[in-house]
Formats: sequence, C-alpha cells, structure tokens
Amino acid sequence: MNLGRLSVAASFAAVALALTACSSTATPAPDAAADAEARVVVANFRAPISNWALESDDAYVLSIAGCLETLTKYDQTEKKVEPMLATSWKQTSDIAWEFDLRKNVKFQDGTDFNAKAVANSLNHVLDATAPARAVNPKTIKKVEALDADTVRVTTPAADPLLPYRMASVNAGVLSGAAYTDKGIDPMNHCTGPFAPVSEKAGQSLTLDRNKNYWDGEVKLAGGEIRYITDGATRSTQVQTGEADISMSIPATSLATLEADEKISVLKADSPRTSTLYLNNSRAPFNKVELRKAATMALDLPAMAASIYEGAAQPATGPFAPSEPWANPDLAVPAVNIDEAKKLVEASGYKQEKPLEIIAITERAEFAGVGAIIQEQFKQIGLKANVVTKSYGAVEPDVLAGKYDMILSQRNRMIDIADPIGFLQADYTCEGGYNLSHYCNKDYDKLISQAMGEKDETKRHDIYRKAGDILAKDAANVWLVNEQAIDGVGSKVQGYVQDPLTRYVLTKDLAKTK
Amino acid sequence: MSPLTAVLRRVVGLGAAVLLSSFAVFLVPFVSPGDPVRALLRARMDFGEADEATVQAYAEQFGLHDPMLVQFGRWLGRFFTGDMGLSHISGTPVADQVLPAIGVTLSLAGSALLVAILVSIFLGVISATHAGKWTDKLITSVTHALIAIPEYALAPLLVLLFAVRWSLLPSAGYDSPASLVLPVFILALRPISFFTVAVRSGVLQALDSEHVLAARARGLSRTQALTRHVVPHGLLPMWTMVGVWFAGLLGGSVIVEVIFAIPGMGRLIFDSIVDSDIPVAQGGVVVVVTCAVLVTGIIDLIHKLSDPTVRIGVRHG
Repeated sequence: MNLGRLSVAASFAAVALALTACSSTATPAPDAAADAEARVVVANFRAPISNWALESDDAYVLSIAGCLETLTKYDQTEKKVEPMLATSWKQTSDIAWEFDLRKNVKFQDGTDFNAKAVANSLNHVLDATAPARAVNPKTIKKVEALDADTVRVTTPAADPLLPYRMASVNAGVLSGAAYTDKGIDPMNHCTGPFAPVSEKAGQSLTLDRNKNYWDGEVKLAGGEIRYITDGATRSTQVQTGEADISMSIPATSLATLEADEKISVLKADSPRTSTLYLNNSRAPFNKVELRKAATMALDLPAMAASIYEGAAQPATGPFAPSEPWANPDLAVPAVNIDEAKKLVEASGYKQEKPLEIIAITERAEFAGVGAIIQEQFKQIGLKANVVTKSYGAVEPDVLAGKYDMILSQRNRMIDIADPIGFLQADYTCEGGYNLSHYCNKDYDKLISQAMGEKDETKRHDIYRKAGDILAKDAANVWLVNEQAIDGVGSKVQGYVQDPLTRYVLTKDLAKTK
Repeated sequence: MSPLTAVLRRVVGLGAAVLLSSFAVFLVPFVSPGDPVRALLRARMDFGEADEATVQAYAEQFGLHDPMLVQFGRWLGRFFTGDMGLSHISGTPVADQVLPAIGVTLSLAGSALLVAILVSIFLGVISATHAGKWTDKLITSVTHALIAIPEYALAPLLVLLFAVRWSLLPSAGYDSPASLVLPVFILALRPISFFTVAVRSGVLQALDSEHVLAARARGLSRTQALTRHVVPHGLLPMWTMVGVWFAGLLGGSVIVEVIFAIPGMGRLIFDSIVDSDIPVAQGGVVVVVTCAVLVTGIIDLIHKLSDPTVRIGVRHG
C-alpha cells in the first residue's frame, strides 16, 4: 500500500522503538527440545488478493505457508534446481521435457498426486487471462500426462530454463477438487507439510500439520500466516512475541531488532537493486560520457549507510556480488568529481534547464535518495529537480522514453532463479520493459546466445559478460543492493531464510516451549 | 412534516448520495494518469511488466475498453438488482469483500464513538460545572492538545508502551476484544476533544437557561436539575456532531486500520482505489454512504428525544 503518512508513522515507530529497546530483557537462547505441539506465527508482508489464483502472487502466500509444492525446487544455498514433486527430468527434444513424478504422494484431501493433477494445475495457469510471468503460453506450449507418473511439458522454443520455471510458485500443484466454480479453494488441497484449514479474510491463514507428508515427519503442529502489510507493525509483532518470524523488516526497525537479544535478525542479498534509470534514448543521457559522470558523482557507500541504515549494500554493477553470474572483479564505483567534471565537458552537454529525477512514491526512501543525488550532481555542475510520483502514473511516459531519470528497483529473478528474463526484458533493444531504452547489438547477441545455452556454467559466463557490457556502457547507475531482512524469535529452530520469499513453514521448522 | 415525508426525503437523499459518490469513485481511473488495467495487473503480480496482449485480454474480460458511461450504466444496472459486481482483481463478488469489511469498521467506529460519547459527557459536565477552576482548565488544555496529535504519531507510541514494553495488549490484529482496545482508543481521542468542548459549551448554556432556572425555583436540587434538565439539554450540540464523526470514521480510519492490520472498510476502499479495482471501491463507498445516512437518521432521532424542549412540549420559536 502506498501511503505517505505511513512512512511518517514508521519514523515515529523507529524513534519510539529506539527509546524502548534499552528496556528489553535479554534472554539467552533456550537449549530445549522442539515442542511437537508448537505452532509458529509468521508475519508476512503480502496478503492474498486474487482469490488464490496460482498465476498471481497469492501463490507465494501458499508456498510460504508450506502448503503449495512444485515439481522442482531451487536450492538457494546450493544455487541449483533440485527434485521436489518430480524425482527426475530429462529433455527429450529441443522443445520437450519429461518429468518423472514422485510416487506415493497424496494430496491433503487424500486423493492421489499424479500426472493428471499436475497437467490440470499447470494448464489452469496457462489458460488464465493474465498468466504468470514464469509460466505462460510464451514459455510453455502444452502440458500433458503421458502416464500416471510422467508429465511432458512442451515449450514453443528450446528452453534450457524449464526446470527453473517448474520451481516457480506459480507452477504449484493442487488437487483437482481445489478448482471450483468460485475459484481456487486451497483448503486441504495441497501436498505440502502444512494443510490450510481456515482463513480470516484479510487477516490470516491457519494451517495444521500434514500427518501424511511424503517427505517425513513435520515438526510443528501447525502455523499461522498473518497478512501484515505495514513493515513497522511486522517488526513490533516479532518484538512482542506475537509473531515468531517477521518477514521483510524495514530498515527503520533494523537497529532496534538487532539490539534485542531475543530476536535474531537474518540478512541476505535480495535480487533487487535500487537503480537510477537514465534515459539512454534522448539527450542528455544518450551520451555515455554523461552517464559515466553520473556514476562517478555518487557516493554509494554513504547512501547505503545513511538512507538505507545499513539494510543495503552499495552496488558494484547490475548484479549483487553474491550471485553466481556477477563479475567478482567489479568494485563499487569510486567517487571521482574531477574526472566526472571532465566527462561532463567531454559529453558536450550544456545545461539549459534542470533535469528531472522521478522518485516513485511506492518506495518511501527514494525521496531521500533523490535528494542526495540532487546534491551530489551539483558537484559536477548538473542541476536536477526531484519529483515524487506514483509508478502507475509515470509508467506510460517512462516506457515511451519521455523522462530524464527515474529511481526504481526491479527483481532480477522474477519467479525463476535465473536473471534471463530480467536481462532480456530490461536491456535488449526490443525488451518489453527496457525503462532505460538501452540498446547495444553486442549485448543482444549475448542474450540470444544465453537463451539457448543448456550448460549452466556457460550460461552464467554469458550473463557475466552481458553485465560487464552494461557496466562499461554505464546504462544506468546501480545504487544499492537491497537486503532481505527477517526477524526471528529465539524459540524458533531450523528457519532457513529464503531471499526469494518462497519458503518459510517447512517440515524442519520447529519451536521450543 | 409528516413521518412518511421525512422518510421519503431520507430515501431520496440516500439515493442521490449513493449515486454521486459512486460516480465520483468511478471517475478516478479515467482522470488519473497511468493505465488502470496495468494497475490491476500490478496488484495481482507485484511490480513488473505485462505485455500488451495480456493488458488487452484483461481489459476485454471486464469490459474496460467500453466507453465510460457505458461502464457506469452497466454497474448501475447491476446495482439496482442488488448485484455490486465482481472485483477486477480477484474476480469474486464485491459483496464478499465489502460486507465483512463494513462489519469490522462498524464495530471499530461504533466502539470508538461510544467511548468518545461517554468520556466526553463525563469530562464536559465536570468542565462546565467547574468552569474557570483548575479542573476545567486542565480538561480544556488536554482536550485541545489531543486534537493536535495525529493518529500516525500516537499509534506507534501507544503500541510500544502497551504492547512492547508492558505486554498488556496485542500490537495488531482483529481477533479478540483486547486487540480492539488501542485502535478504539486512538480513534476515540479526536472525537473526545470535539465532543467535550461541545458538551461543556452546551451544559454552560443550559445552566443559564430559563427552564433550568425555573426548575430550580420549583425546588429541584442542583443534582436533580443537572441530571433531568441541564445534561440532556447540554448534550444537544454533541449529538449534532456524532453523526458526522461516525460517517467520517466509517471510511476514514485507514491509517489506524493499516497500522493495526485491521481488515476494515477504509483500508479496503483506499487499496481498491490505488489498485484501480473500481467495483470494490464503488461497493465500499455505497455501503459506507448507506450506513452513514442510516446512522445519522437514527442519531437525529436520539437528538430529538434528548431535547427537553421537545419532551416537555415546548415549541421552538
């Protein structure tokens, strides 16, 4: 939700939290056995609003809840796709893949998990008016059951990333009974370790342990996913113990939670980089010299430390350094005002009126980031005004190339744990979401090559080269890599943070008394 | 005016208010910059692109390419048959979202106003009967200060005191009477400020009125005069404000609803307007306006019943 006053409320909360933090009682982490009757409460930043349609972000809620499962799973630690409801898969032709399904799996309603159910679920997503980003008719042509335990997925063109797509939450599988005339009913219709049993509309989803879970014992008796869209409220919930896990903690609450010994604060690189998009298609940022000057003028570490209060790392380029395709040799661009001034001069740009930086209101911190950029640009002789607008209001102009600069951020791994969709949509000449209107034929060739590359190592090398081209051309100024931050209560055991926010309630999650 | 005429006037007024407010909400996407269909798709799938074919197909599904008046006429036609239509985001009946939300908001706003009325009567009467003394000055200062404190500043502070530091109340939610205490208290504060000033002023006026003086002359004690004549008469200015505040709280408690994660009507209407889910916003506004008109009607009745000049048969000049 976009509400300016809420950011003010968050600030008040931060100040007040800081005042009360010193009074928090420190309790040592309990060294106790897991309580088999325990239930875990998760404060989630997202509320389901699409009647549980699996092609929508509602699928994330079902996945976080430990209900929805997919054929494959992306292991964030190992950085690879692993079996889940499918035990193995093979590419039988350039455009066909076959998945062998796990046997003896049952849905929570007692019906058999089989190829027919898989085809039914995936075809529902493919038939949706607004299909999912990872699973849609452009990426998947047909899904069919070959026999009870084998599913064939046909793609319109060769797609080495299909197993990644099958790990997308939108490719989750529900029993046939979940698909009703009134939409999707997930209650007791998943295969996961937790079965949803009731929902309070707009508030929470309650889940019980799936006693017949295919992957063994489920340690918790159940859980509750609370829909709390306000970040400060999520922070408070884990501080008071009302929630055991609070996802996506805002930077303003970070210091307070870190000072509380009852809470563990987990951080991981998220696949989101806050970026100053430069309009490459028109003056003045059609000149690479000016784009490089903009990069050299900005003090990214100071920005990360001040506005983001340590909840972000200064960016080295278009990828986070922890991503396997990031170039490890890229460093955070150093501030060099003298060199930047020379580049401004070399660009031939004579400023007649101030440039415009659009700070989208959906991200409250961008107003402050814009103000810092405005000040630092002054040092190299660039005048700029910061205007705040909602993203929806400016999107048509930005896509049409009618802007100077816009502060925004994108998820590089939209629904699949691979950046190909982002690199293609955001930076190729014909990219559907090329906000910066960047165009480089050499870059486009690399992306085409990557799309057909089956070898993961080679594909990552190509991504690295593509990233280097973007950095060399200073297509945009990549400001900071945002961190996924979760607050976890001291009684919780076995929580593994997923920066892609897909898995929270798992069979191994436990809680002590 | 006969009771029938009065009821008819209310019904016509309600119809006009519903029509105007729903049309105003309906206009929002047509006068806002940006593509409302893309806003709907963004609500379903976070931040990101939707290709043109998807945008067109989605618009087609809900008839969003039709001319503005055709779309409004279609909504109106359905509305007169009792159908508020389908949400453009979830595809489910609008009533399924609006009716639970209005229940939540009625309980929240109703409780806040009840608290505000009781507290204001107490404070206002004390203040008026001790006019010029330190108790009056204290109550007046505090109630004036409360007007200036915004909800978004007070809510986090109270949460930190009552939920974080003292663990007395839940910090958020709508699942127990305890979870309502803080939001109700915060929503009640501003009405308390206004109502207390109104009660104080009304009671002071009543104390000097002829019928109270006459009542005292007939031998009524000060307490009897206060309870039978002064207080009922002194509340009249407050009752005129209660209806307006109630209507405001029905749709306007969005900040408190967000901070306390309460699935109420203010938040539903606000989110649906931001996401361009206009049928939900229209449904919400219609329900809020209807409730507001009904409640103000009931409050008018209470107002009349509590007017001692009416009860003792005195005609207004």
